[in-house]
Amino acid sequence: MDFQGIYDRLRAAKAPGLLDCDLPRAGDPADKKDQGRAGDAFVLVDPAHWADFFRTCKQDERLGFEQLIDLSATDPAKDDENFWVNVQLLSLKHKHRLAVKALLPKDPGRIATLARVYRAAQWHERECAEMFGITFEGHPDPRNILLPDDWAGSPLRKDYEFPKEYHGISCE
Amino acid sequence: MSLIENRFEENLLTTKVDWLINWARLSSIWPMTFGLACCAIEMMAVGAAHHDLDRFGAGAFRATPRQADLMIVAGTVNFKMAERIKRLYDQMPFPKYVMAMGACATGGGPYYKFGYTVVKGVDRVVPVDVYIAGCPPRPEALMEGLMKLQEKIRNTSVIRKPARTA
Repeated sequence: MDFQGIYDRLRAAKAPGLLDCDLPRAGDPADKKDQGRAGDAFVLVDPAHWADFFRTCKQDERLGFEQLIDLSATDPAKDDENFWVNVQLLSLKHKHRLAVKALLPKDPGRIATLARVYRAAQWHERECAEMFGITFEGHPDPRNILLPDDWAGSPLRKDYEFPKEYHGISCE
Repeated sequence: MSLIENRFEENLLTTKVDWLINWARLSSIWPMTFGLACCAIEMMAVGAAHHDLDRFGAGAFRATPRQADLMIVAGTVNFKMAERIKRLYDQMPFPKYVMAMGACATGGGPYYKFGYTVVKGVDRVVPVDVYIAGCPPRPEALMEGLMKLQEKIRNTSVIRKPARTA
């Protein structure tokens, strides 16, 4: 199925939390500020129904997304109030892919875990949690995965301040 | 040496203790099997047949710090690893030497500015004898570093303080 087919199917299946879809487009030549949008088409999902949406994606016969390829987050700017949470899904059976995004408010920055739907999400969510300070509610193993256990701060946030020293080793 | 030379039977050799010990040390610098990043690939190339680190007596990579004389820090050192490096260094028996191989181990390299977990030089954790430039250094550079270290060992002394070099 192509993106439009997937989107129509999601609409028909009444996938919980489905808000909108966004297709790449060229910029308006008359308006110099309009850069357009490059990249993959994605569907926008309400973070309140996050896990339920993916359960539909996985269990619906026609969609059949049995694999979670990637889960990551983006911090667009220091003064932005939201994170983007990005997920890539793949169906080997139907040979199609889907990009899913959600706008997650930085305060409080809490979203449901996908680990119960896709077990592959566990490590991605642990990385995401330590890098952005997002809390994945109900995660079975919420330890740090890359950073040391006592690391302070979330390095990939735009407002991150670099440490001055760590365990007596100067960072200057 | 000259005082006792030729005073004994023919198959007795005389030498200086310093020279003998230094010769023994510099001819068998056993490195530790220990690589952190892409520099380790280059280090493996030096250990393999084409460049053959064994010519210098330094080809016996030991899998334990207790049998190693030289720690080649080949790659990026981050804070999580720095504590392990310190522990490995402490486990090595004296005399022990450290080589900082490549830009990362020397001073943080390309991660200097934005690498929030990268130690800006392994010399902040363990004392370094030889720094090797390059990203990664060519095998020839690593071999030159080893020869520099041999030179350093050749000038050490076990019975008197080493002469100051200008």
